[in-house]
Amino acid sequence: MTDDYEHYEAVVVGAGPGGAAAAATLAQNGVETLVLERGVESGSKNVSGGLIYAEESAPYTIDGLFPNFRTEASERPVTEYYLHNVAGRKVKTIDLTDLHEHDTMWSDAVLRRHMDSWLEDRVHEVTRETGGGLLTGVRVDGLLREAGEIVGVTCEELDPIKADAIIAADGVNSELARDAGLMDWEDPEEWFQGVKAIVDMPEGAVAERFGVADDEGVAHLFSGDLFEGVRGGGFLYTNDDSLSIGTVFHLDSLVAEEAEPHELLDALLTHPLLDQWLQGEYEELEYGAKLVPDSKKAAHPSPHRGRLMLVGDAAGQMQAQGPIIKGMNHAVSAGALAAEAFSEAQTRDRPAEAGQRYETKLRDEGVMKKLRPTPYKIASAVGENDAVASMTDSLVDSSLGKLGIKAADRLGLLGRSFNSPFVMSVMPDTRTPYVTAPTAIAEALGTPVRAENDVEPPDLADRIGDLTYDVGDPHIELQDNSYEASGAAVAACPVSAKDFGGGCYRDETVKTNGHEEHLVSLDTQPCVECGTCAIVADTEWEHPAGGKGVEFKQG
Amino acid sequence: MEIDPTEHEIADLGPKIKDVDDADELREMLAAEEDGEDRVPVKTLIEDRLETVEGEDEEVDPGDADLDDMTVADVANMVRDVEDIAVLEDLLEREKAGQDRKTAKSQIEGRIDTLRDSDDDEDEEVVIEDPEEKYPDLDHPTADKKHVRALEDGDYRDMWVYCETQQGQLIDVSREMLGKARELMDGYNDEYGESESVIAVLIGDGVGELAEECIAYGADRVIYLEDERLDRFRHTPYTRIFCDMARNGGHPFGREDRAEDDWRDYDEPRYTVFPATNNGRDLSALAQAEFDSGLASDCSDLFIEPADISNPAKTGKPGETVEFQRVLHMKRPDFSGFEYSTILCLDKPGREFHPQGASVIPGSFDVPDPDPEREGEVIEHEMPLDDDWFKVEVTDYDQLEGGVDLTGNEVVVALGRGIGSDPTEGIELGLDLVDQFEEADLGLSRGVITASYQFAGHVEQYVTEERQIGESGQEVEPAVYIAAGISGAVQHKVGMDESDTIIAINTDADADIVDFSDYFIQGDLFEILPELTDSLENGELDIQALAGGASDD
Ligand SMILES: Cc1cc2nc3c(=O)[nH]c(=O)nc-3n(C[C@H](O)[C@H](O)[C@H](O)COP(=O)(O)OP(=O)(O)OC[C@H]3O[C@@H](n4cnc5c(N)ncnc54)[C@H](O)[C@@H]3O)c2cc1C
Ligand SMILES: Cc1cc2nc3c(=O)[nH]c(=O)nc-3n(C[C@H](O)[C@H](O)[C@H](O)COP(=O)(O)OP(=O)(O)OC[C@H]3O[C@@H](n4cnc5c(N)ncnc54)[C@H](O)[C@@H]3O)c2cc1C
Ligand code: SF4
Repeated sequence: MTDDYEHYEAVVVGAGPGGAAAAATLAQNGVETLVLERGVESGSKNVSGGLIYAEESAPYTIDGLFPNFRTEASERPVTEYYLHNVAGRKVKTIDLTDLHEHDTMWSDAVLRRHMDSWLEDRVHEVTRETGGGLLTGVRVDGLLREAGEIVGVTCEELDPIKADAIIAADGVNSELARDAGLMDWEDPEEWFQGVKAIVDMPEGAVAERFGVADDEGVAHLFSGDLFEGVRGGGFLYTNDDSLSIGTVFHLDSLVAEEAEPHELLDALLTHPLLDQWLQGEYEELEYGAKLVPDSKKAAHPSPHRGRLMLVGDAAGQMQAQGPIIKGMNHAVSAGALAAEAFSEAQTRDRPAEAGQRYETKLRDEGVMKKLRPTPYKIASAVGENDAVASMTDSLVDSSLGKLGIKAADRLGLLGRSFNSPFVMSVMPDTRTPYVTAPTAIAEALGTPVRAENDVEPPDLADRIGDLTYDVGDPHIELQDNSYEASGAAVAACPVSAKDFGGGCYRDETVKTNGHEEHLVSLDTQPCVECGTCAIVADTEWEHPAGGKGVEFKQG
Repeated sequence: MEIDPTEHEIADLGPKIKDVDDADELREMLAAEEDGEDRVPVKTLIEDRLETVEGEDEEVDPGDADLDDMTVADVANMVRDVEDIAVLEDLLEREKAGQDRKTAKSQIEGRIDTLRDSDDDEDEEVVIEDPEEKYPDLDHPTADKKHVRALEDGDYRDMWVYCETQQGQLIDVSREMLGKARELMDGYNDEYGESESVIAVLIGDGVGELAEECIAYGADRVIYLEDERLDRFRHTPYTRIFCDMARNGGHPFGREDRAEDDWRDYDEPRYTVFPATNNGRDLSALAQAEFDSGLASDCSDLFIEPADISNPAKTGKPGETVEFQRVLHMKRPDFSGFEYSTILCLDKPGREFHPQGASVIPGSFDVPDPDPEREGEVIEHEMPLDDDWFKVEVTDYDQLEGGVDLTGNEVVVALGRGIGSDPTEGIELGLDLVDQFEEADLGLSRGVITASYQFAGHVEQYVTEERQIGESGQEVEPAVYIAAGISGAVQHKVGMDESDTIIAINTDADADIVDFSDYFIQGDLFEILPELTDSLENGELDIQALAGGASDD
């Protein structure tokens, strides 16, 4: 029977930047390539910040693979980059344009629905010429194995498909990586959660309020005490005619503080500092969220097994370089390198070597070094040690520490260390860099913001109500509905909240035979497929069937 | 040497080398690499390519092949690619002069024959031969397929749309097809200066009353046949009836005593359109087979346009392109699912393929706005229905979906998560209130159905998705909708806000539902619901009267 299955030289799962780069490179090398994407259109499932970088040192860039990318698929380039340290109303702003420009050929803001659907058309065209193509609305639900060997993929909507190479570019919470036993979804410390609102700007407002020309844009980053002590920060990027405003937090910290992601986002949106850009108007076009792997901990050093190669978020290749988030660019490099590796192996008639070649290329091209910098291992050994962390925290907090900060600022040291790619990439994951230090800096050096920001972001019910869903069968099952096992999801799920009956996870006290039980119930209809509860609750977690579930229009 | 390997990374050499076909050039490259960087993988790459290219070069040239050296199999392989008859004849001579192997000669001769035949083909007119005449000795010359029901020089007009019904209603796809047919035929009539019509076909029990609706959606004429034995779809009678309607009186393959329709002067429909539903797929296949035409099934778009065709089997004129007129283009996903194919159903010399038939995937077209003012003609079709067609009896059937139908109630009492502190009692109180009305039922918000509440056995049966009201449940518009403990999320609202009068019971005066309720009772549903029930029982309260007095705003 199995011999009847359709066969392609390569199957690429997922058409985000990683999958698009892989497919285009395979097609360039004449490899017959089939691309499968679960969204109704590429981009309809994807949320990013997002600034896509083209690094000078990278083996591939998105515009190298897809000419005209910048004129047709992206929004504004980022020409200025600032970090705001916030303590209450006090703000100390540091210009990080140098850090941003380090190793950067260019960097553009993107909206993923537009970007990915543009890529989809191009990928379809080039893969079709190889005898393959790109199919949307198809969800791959596992690996096809013969005698224990991975030989293809199985899908909910199609018969199994065999291939000589399988490139899993299926993003964070990759079901293929899990199926192959390469990644697990256990440890909240390995992930960030990103939440984002896209805010409409009246015509001409971006240029006026940010003081930029048509071909310029700004990135503003925020850290300090505006997020209830949760480790992470906020961002604001300018698109052509809208703003992407969001937050990225360490998932373990979110869970520990039982913080509500939508409230943290609102705290940013309503901070007085933002008044200069929002000016009392607020129209939210879309609310979205997605997990983000932390490559320092999650990047798989050997992301392949048999014919399977993982690229991008699926392999944990998402680099947080201080405030700079680099996932899309590495997905592009990895996708193209995996494709290259397979094509070479195939030319030599030794397709089985593709995985090893891919791993070597990741190393030789310097990608792995960025994802898992060696100094981090050392820094974290010291920095994350609790005792040391609280010592540095209290030091920064003490008046002596503040004196130090003032002195450092006068000497220009502050800006310099923030602008050091090395310091930024090895920063320890404690509260010091995210909360304590920025707060102290702002307190010591900040100027108070006088403006009032009285915008009212929509509540969760309205945010859910504004999203588009094609509801299918439930795709997440609670394995253990006790509050103990799965209660963390009530707060951590970006579309759920304590005392909100309309979310996915709801906190319930149920009376049975005289005694009370603290339970959670789950309804997956409002789910935005961010992946959080796969890690923080006891669930059987899958993506919805092809074309089903939430459909992002912006991304 | 065009590519100097030493100037390239191995990564971009792979694809480049694939395009080099010259063995000498490859040898030069290999030497350059050895002198230069001498990278092992690069050398392997070039060597691999060299092997491939030289392998190709080894192919024998038939012009000077040494036949004595070759096996018959080699000869067979070689001649398969030879297109030139002179070369083959030369080969044949040489084989005769040499080993003179019978098998080798027959391979070469066979190839010569094939080439001669195809040469001849090219300037021959396609001759249409009746299969019976072509193979007079066979009793089934074309297996079982006898092309006997197609017309010769038939007259075809109009677009016929089979309108499927369920439970006495047109299903949406029927409306969608009528709208599309109207649009297509309006365009057609403009383009060709004709006045052809959209004909709706209704078959079933009591379907005549849907005729006006078909006209409102775009039909010019409705032909219907109703009989109580037709209350469910059955293959034989439905196919017979559809074909009898479609074939005018005097049709060579139709019912002998069928009278000619006075409203038309053509033999068969020009176009037929069916829904690609379970029943529609069956009927379309059976009917189009009976007409001996083609069928494009599961189409997602239709348009009428001329088509340039050069296939000689269709044009009868090899080498010429002929423009076919009034062709229904039927677009459907092809089998791979990658692309769309457009299917055309074209006559060919000596054989007509009409009606041009399609089945349409539900949802492909929009439901048009009905125009109740539109006028049209309704025709009841008369024909004897043979008892034999009904030999298969339907003894039992299950209606899937919609076990609980909340629509059509005077009153709906809906409960939400406000029952959370004692879910079982909440349902009981709701049911008590339901009992106070003649036509009433219990509805639920999704929030209740998906909760982890535990219900006592006697009320558990009520807590199912079948009672969910809202976007992903049922839409109701009763005279009175009582929402107790429901916040009024937009997804719930769309299922009930067409109700005449909405009464909300909620502890929270800021709940969204208050904004679209006619009456709002602030309070605990566990107290308010029993009070309501009591006052209704005692006749102190008349909710219907309340409803009558309420304004919609
Ligand atoms: C709030 C936020 C801010 C961020 N900011 C930035 C930033 O500024 N710069 C940056 O570079 N990165 C940023 N990132 C990270 C970045 O978005 C990701 O690293 C990047 O999208 C990864 O690309 P990918 O191709 O690996 O996966 P994705 O872009 O996630 O694509 C995966 C694709 O696979 C499809 N898919 C998944 N499962 C299946 C399946 N089973 N079958 C078929 N198809 C499937 C999905 O629909 C999707 O299209 C941010 C992320 C978030 C959430
Ligand atoms: C794609 C999608 C489709 C959906 N489809 C549907 C749908 O078809 N139908 C549907 O209903 N929902 C649907 N939902 C869910 C919907 O968004 C809401 O979550 C749901 O309707 C909330 O149910 P609720 O009002 O019962 O609960 P809640 O929102 O929790 O409201 C409970 C209310 O009860 C009140 N209350 C509490 N205690 C008492 C008391 N003792 N007495 C009186 N009042 C009390 C509270 O003040 C509150 O207003 C859908 C959601 C999505 C995302
Ligand atoms: S249910 Fe899980 S996957 Fe869905 S939005 Fe909530 S946390 Fe994310």
